[in-house]
Amino acid sequence: MTEQNPGTPTLASTDAKAAQPLTLTLTRKAGSSLLPDLASRNALRKKRARSDKLARWGITAAGYGVVVALLTIFVYLFYEVAPILRGATVNDQHQYTLPEQQSETFRLLLDRYEMLGIQYTRAGDAVFFDSASGAEQLRAAIPMPEGARVSSFGYGETISNTVVYGFDNGTALLARHAFSISFPDDQRVIVPRLDFPLGASAIQIDQQGQPLTLITTEVLARGAATTAVAAVTQDNRLLLARITSRNNLLTGAVQLSTNVQTLPAIPGRAQQILLDKSLRNLFVLDDRGVMHYFDIVDPAQARLVESVDVGQGERVTAAEFLVGSVSIVVGTESGKLTQWFLVRDESNNSSLTLIREFDSHDAAITAIAPEQTRKGFIAVDAAGQVGVHYGSSSRTLYLNKVSDRVLTNVAISQINSRLLWLDDQQQVSSASLWNEHPQLSWAAMWNKVWYEGREDPEYIWQSSSGSDEFESKFSLVPLTVGTLKAALYAMLFAMPLAIAGAIYTAYFMTPKLRGVVKPSIEIMEALPTVILGFLAGLWLAPFVENNLPAVFSFFLLMPLMLLLFAFLWTRFPSALRSRIPEGWEAALCVPVILIFGTLCVQSSPWVEVWLFDGSMRQWFTDIGVNYDQRNALIVGIAMGFAVIPTIFSIAEDAVFTVPRHLTQGSLALGATRWQTVLGVVLPTASPGIFSAVMMGFGRAVGETMIVLMATGNSPVVNFNIFEGMRTLSANIAVELPETAVGSSHFRVLFLAALVLLALTFVVNTLAEIIRQRLRQRYSNL
Amino acid sequence: MTADKTTNVTGDLAANQPDAPMRRERPVVSAASARKIGERDTMSLSDEVAKIQVNHLDLFYGADQALKDINLMIPEKRVTAFIGPSGCGKSTLLRCFNRMNDLVDICRIKGEIVMDGKNIYDRDVDVADLRRSVGMVFQKPNPFPKTIYENVAYGLRLQGVTSRRVLDEAVEKSLRAAALWEEVKDRLQDNAFGMSGGQQQRLVIARAIAIEPEVILLDEPASALDPISTLKIEELINELKQDYTIIIVTHNMQQAARVSDYTAFMYMGNLVEYGDTDTMFTNPQKKQTEDYITGRYG
Repeated sequence: MTEQNPGTPTLASTDAKAAQPLTLTLTRKAGSSLLPDLASRNALRKKRARSDKLARWGITAAGYGVVVALLTIFVYLFYEVAPILRGATVNDQHQYTLPEQQSETFRLLLDRYEMLGIQYTRAGDAVFFDSASGAEQLRAAIPMPEGARVSSFGYGETISNTVVYGFDNGTALLARHAFSISFPDDQRVIVPRLDFPLGASAIQIDQQGQPLTLITTEVLARGAATTAVAAVTQDNRLLLARITSRNNLLTGAVQLSTNVQTLPAIPGRAQQILLDKSLRNLFVLDDRGVMHYFDIVDPAQARLVESVDVGQGERVTAAEFLVGSVSIVVGTESGKLTQWFLVRDESNNSSLTLIREFDSHDAAITAIAPEQTRKGFIAVDAAGQVGVHYGSSSRTLYLNKVSDRVLTNVAISQINSRLLWLDDQQQVSSASLWNEHPQLSWAAMWNKVWYEGREDPEYIWQSSSGSDEFESKFSLVPLTVGTLKAALYAMLFAMPLAIAGAIYTAYFMTPKLRGVVKPSIEIMEALPTVILGFLAGLWLAPFVENNLPAVFSFFLLMPLMLLLFAFLWTRFPSALRSRIPEGWEAALCVPVILIFGTLCVQSSPWVEVWLFDGSMRQWFTDIGVNYDQRNALIVGIAMGFAVIPTIFSIAEDAVFTVPRHLTQGSLALGATRWQTVLGVVLPTASPGIFSAVMMGFGRAVGETMIVLMATGNSPVVNFNIFEGMRTLSANIAVELPETAVGSSHFRVLFLAALVLLALTFVVNTLAEIIRQRLRQRYSNL
Repeated sequence: MTADKTTNVTGDLAANQPDAPMRRERPVVSAASARKIGERDTMSLSDEVAKIQVNHLDLFYGADQALKDINLMIPEKRVTAFIGPSGCGKSTLLRCFNRMNDLVDICRIKGEIVMDGKNIYDRDVDVADLRRSVGMVFQKPNPFPKTIYENVAYGLRLQGVTSRRVLDEAVEKSLRAAALWEEVKDRLQDNAFGMSGGQQQRLVIARAIAIEPEVILLDEPASALDPISTLKIEELINELKQDYTIIIVTHNMQQAARVSDYTAFMYMGNLVEYGDTDTMFTNPQKKQTEDYITGRYG
């Protein structure tokens, strides 16, 4: 009812009064009011209510949609990263009897498809059996030399499938198991066989014909087909044989030539020999837990380099190379597990060094099985425990008692998903293993790690290589440092320019000039960063390299030049000065900057000749500063350009929206304009300026294309302005296309993405909170 | 003082009556004259000492002339009120006294304003120094987003005062002079935005007098305030005129009548009439003035 009155023109008020009861509204004469009649207004009201409701739902849904989308991204990233945190699990354990129980088991193995187990026995048999049931499939016997008996057994790296039998007549025989795989009726059928790479007849290792009590072998990975066999004879001589095979092109016969050297004897009784696959280093472990390291680069001049107590006072009960035969894992009688490798010092001398310790088992380690494609290993002990450990990340992923008996042997498949272990009652247990991401741990990603072959623990990002023996180096430190480095130099370049420019534009510049300057700087934001990136990489980087003195004199002297010009300007005749209206002084600086810039570039070669012996870049190298062409300076400038519009725009708004009555209040108190800027404008605008800087920082952290194109993408850990960097974002862009889905590398890239997202999210949220505070603070002005 | 207060409040009430006939009875004027009785019998510009002399002042905003040949003498240690309808140029004139119009790009000024024998538009006048001696209070309270203490100390710091002791003393003195000390002495370090509008306006006045100006310009200082706060400001103006030359711009006729000694009526950029307040409100010389103060337009 009340709604009718205000809408009714006063002239028609008498008529309207009569029409006020609702029932009579419709009978009101047309034309008595200029407004539509009640029915259509009711209809309109309903329509408006409908569209209000629709809009409310739509906007609410859209708002929640944004939040849900963001959450989904976070959840998805978490989902991809989460498996990193899981340890290893061992499941579906079941037991069966070993197919050959009469003869001692030298070695237990599992094939790549986890279908066949292999048992090498003292009797000289290779027994292939079904890994699920233990049913024997094939028994291949090695051709024993007449009248000889097996006196020792050794093996090369697991993945080479090579074993060697030593006999009591001083001979040795190499054998290799192999599989032929066929798919009749789409069923995989694996047929095992036993090959003899150096022929089926045994090779004389000891000319004196003494029994070989210890033996090992290794096949040279590169170069001519060389096989090495190291052996210890019954009278404790250490022999090293190099066997070269040559195919006779005419007859097709294989000719073998054997070269045997006797190495210096070790004190004590040898217990195990370890020969690395480069055939450069030989380690002999004695029964007191001391490892003797021989340099055998030249077998004729082989020498004992050092003897290291790897048992650390205890007897060593198991020792194995990790894949790549660089690291040695040593297990002792008390269950301690340690990793050792040769570390080279400054004078190029290698020494066997303790790298790390793993979680101890409860009893003597009885066997160690290295993983075949990663730097992990499985250890079993006399107390029935199985431990899954990993080298680079120092993680023990699984350590559990699986049996009440003494475990004597263990095997792991090439794809790291099935274990076989053997106990002293000749029972084999088969179990599935889940151990996808042992390389990753908080420590491996954020702490220094001592990688194989390195002199010290380091932060390294080196995610992949063509070799299975490669040790993945997943330190996120170089990437994070690179991200911060790029952002830091970009901010160093952008912040002073953007903030000072914003203050000048907002507070001193005449509105006309401001109307040109502000939109032009803001339009810079729309510049595709890929263009900035390739300009920086292909034009700026070589230009800076060739004109280093120009760059330095420009950056260092330009502020001075501007101050000098400002001073000279005050001394100009006032007739000239009055021609330039207040607020247009900035335009005068443009020719000054251009002229001085040209001057810097033109004088650059002369400066180089006078001060830097002709080349400043060379001079830097000479004083020990690395100089890369695409470096942090280039990124700082290029990304600075990308960040300036962000900072400028927000900071300019912050300064410009400082209420006029505040600045006038300050001026009316006798403040100069500069005093007003410092005393009132900056403090009032500071939260806005801070938020602008944070926004710029957030942008710099997330920026990808510029750093990708304008740096060498080398993941270095330093803040040298003349070296490049690799940022989290560029790293994701570079590596994600080439990583295997679901691999550790894949997941660590997702983690990098999560770190990046969290970083930018935190920075931007902080900036937004400060902006809100600012708004609140000025709402009561 | 109590008598004053009651009459003032009556005046306010009268002013709030929207009906025109009430105004024609001039309750305002009677109130104003009641206050003046006993203070001084008659006032005349010719008896006063000139603080500021405005000679042939023309002011242009671009092509528009906002002030036309203003000639005016501001007496020392008196309250001079500028009244007139919106857009008549009274605020513009006020802002000429501390050269705040310089901040407007398109503003040009002809003529001179002589203060203590010196034209403030001379080339060698330092504007910042001029503004120190000619303080200004704006229509809307504009404390800085700082503490109460820092607001008052701001002007002193600008003048290079760093001694904490001097600052403390000056802050207290100014706040006392602005009748604010008792209310805020326990929360000097609180943000000035926490104060009421009236307190803020008095803080701004304290801030202005902290730097010991000779002239204080008040640009509708009470127009954004409630009647009680307005009353306090008016009492304060009465106190301050012992020491300062005060020029006030106001839309509120009753206020002009209550607080000022002299009143200038402006219309369309012209100074129509200028004289002592009593005469202006009881017996204006010009029809235009009478029409305005009796509320026929404005």
